[in-house]
Amino acid sequence: MPVDAKLSHTAAIVLQAIHAGHVYGFSVMQMTGLPSGTVYPAMRRLERDGLILSKWEQQSIADADQRPPRKYYRLTRSGKATLQAIYQRYPLLERMIPSPEEQRA
Amino acid sequence: MSLFRLYSAALARMNLRAASLFVPRRDRADWIAEWTAELYHLCHGCAGGAPGAGPFAFSLGAFRDAFWIRCERLRSATRPVLQSGSAPRCGLVLTAFAAIGFLACLSLPRARTALLPIHALPPADLVMISSAGYAGVQSPSIPLENYQEWRTDTDKLFSQIAWYHPSVRNVYVMHQRTARLSIALASANLLGVLGVPGGGSPARSPNGARLILSRAAWRSWYHSDPNLVGRTASIDGRPVPIAGVLPDDDNEQLPGGMEAWLLEDEHALGQLPPQARGFVFARIRGSAFPAPRGGVRIMTETRAGVTPSFKCISVAWLARQPTSNFFFALLLACMALPATTALPLGDYRDRLALSVRARRWVFLALKFVLVLAVVYPTSIALAWGPSLPGSTAVFLQVATAFLALLFGFRWILEDQRRRCPQCLRLLSNPARVGQASCNFLSWNGTELFCDRGHGLLHIPELATSWFSTQRWLCLDSSWLCLFPETRAPSPGMV
Repeated sequence: MPVDAKLSHTAAIVLQAIHAGHVYGFSVMQMTGLPSGTVYPAMRRLERDGLILSKWEQQSIADADQRPPRKYYRLTRSGKATLQAIYQRYPLLERMIPSPEEQRA
Repeated sequence: MSLFRLYSAALARMNLRAASLFVPRRDRADWIAEWTAELYHLCHGCAGGAPGAGPFAFSLGAFRDAFWIRCERLRSATRPVLQSGSAPRCGLVLTAFAAIGFLACLSLPRARTALLPIHALPPADLVMISSAGYAGVQSPSIPLENYQEWRTDTDKLFSQIAWYHPSVRNVYVMHQRTARLSIALASANLLGVLGVPGGGSPARSPNGARLILSRAAWRSWYHSDPNLVGRTASIDGRPVPIAGVLPDDDNEQLPGGMEAWLLEDEHALGQLPPQARGFVFARIRGSAFPAPRGGVRIMTETRAGVTPSFKCISVAWLARQPTSNFFFALLLACMALPATTALPLGDYRDRLALSVRARRWVFLALKFVLVLAVVYPTSIALAWGPSLPGSTAVFLQVATAFLALLFGFRWILEDQRRRCPQCLRLLSNPARVGQASCNFLSWNGTELFCDRGHGLLHIPELATSWFSTQRWLCLDSSWLCLFPETRAPSPGMV
């Protein structure tokens, strides 16, 4: 997807939440307040468009904690570039869900 | 964990299993694993205050996920078909127009008979006699006195001859109601001449009269009463037994739009004024009177020094006329086509496989077939659907079919020239190159390219001996990175 692509408000929030370190679906739900039936399709769409990447947790780690393995998401380079472009369209997005850099500052 | 939370988690797991059944089998395991992992953390971690964060509410969201996956699948499956400019979409649109044309034609009774004459194809020796030529086919033109003379004088020409005169009469119908019906006062042998089997019930009034209803009148005035035949109808106070109901096919081939036929003997018909005009049908004798050539044969008779001519028009020919008109319009359109657009489709020899070229020709042929399938029923519906005089309907059909075919064929050729020969999608992004007035011997023209990077189309502005027609240039795979539609899908594509 090109950097100047227009994302919906929901997709932009989900992208910003993942960028802010909420790297799995339930965490994004908690952060954004969006319901489960919205968050997972939005993440799948972002993944399809190459803005985020998913990766399953190693089975050994999950087994050690006696829990099912989890699927984690992270932004791709294209996703980061898109997010920078999206800030101009949704200026409050960064303040609503602060990124790790902002939190540190 | 409280009992309530355990119960809620178990219920949520059941919901997730149920929702997973709606997910396509290929993705089911992945989705179940993600849902289950999230549910585990939801149940064992802090639920927080997020909406839909309870296990049960979370599991209901899984149904929305499954619904979304199904919609995405459907969308991606139909995208190539519905994409603007794609060959399947072009075929679908033409098919839809053809279906609308056929439905319109079938919904109009007269147009339906014209479209499907096979069901009602009349006997080959049946002719209609008209004094006004083809224009008299839809309006009564033969006076009663002519018919009465021909009954006795034309034994050598016709084996049978029948006449009917359109009129409007008051008929007493069911439930104390009187209706004004279009009734044909007809000779008793009309059904026999037309070749209608049976001819109805043998019941007759004391003077031999009997009434035959059209199917439409039987439906609307007698509510499709199955026991109607044999009962008596009152026509202007005169009781007449109802002898039968005429099938739609036979009814629609008779001009005048009659709702009923009052079959009477010759004596009763003789009570009408001698100048009362009507329609005449006859069966020609093969030995004395060969079948009308080209559908029409002229019959003359000399009376009191005057020799009027009558046209014997084959009813079978009349039934086939809409198809003949269409083929005539098709011939005219084919002859006129080269005057409106160039026929060559361009130079496409550049590295095109035989299968690709064959597919392109099949697509072209399919478009021609579909345009014919659109125009044929539409022209019939327009011309023969409304009750127009015969010659007007013929003119209207030929004119509409000719114009629609001419512009349809022109569109087909132009559309074909603007498509990529490999994917058959419409080419886009036209770019004008050069200016003929400045660089006469250089390349001037327009270039279009395929969105999928299959190649470029060069259209010369001025046809020259070295570049007379449009030329296709194939692009190899090294160009594909420039075309976004050919990018490889992302690894996580659903």
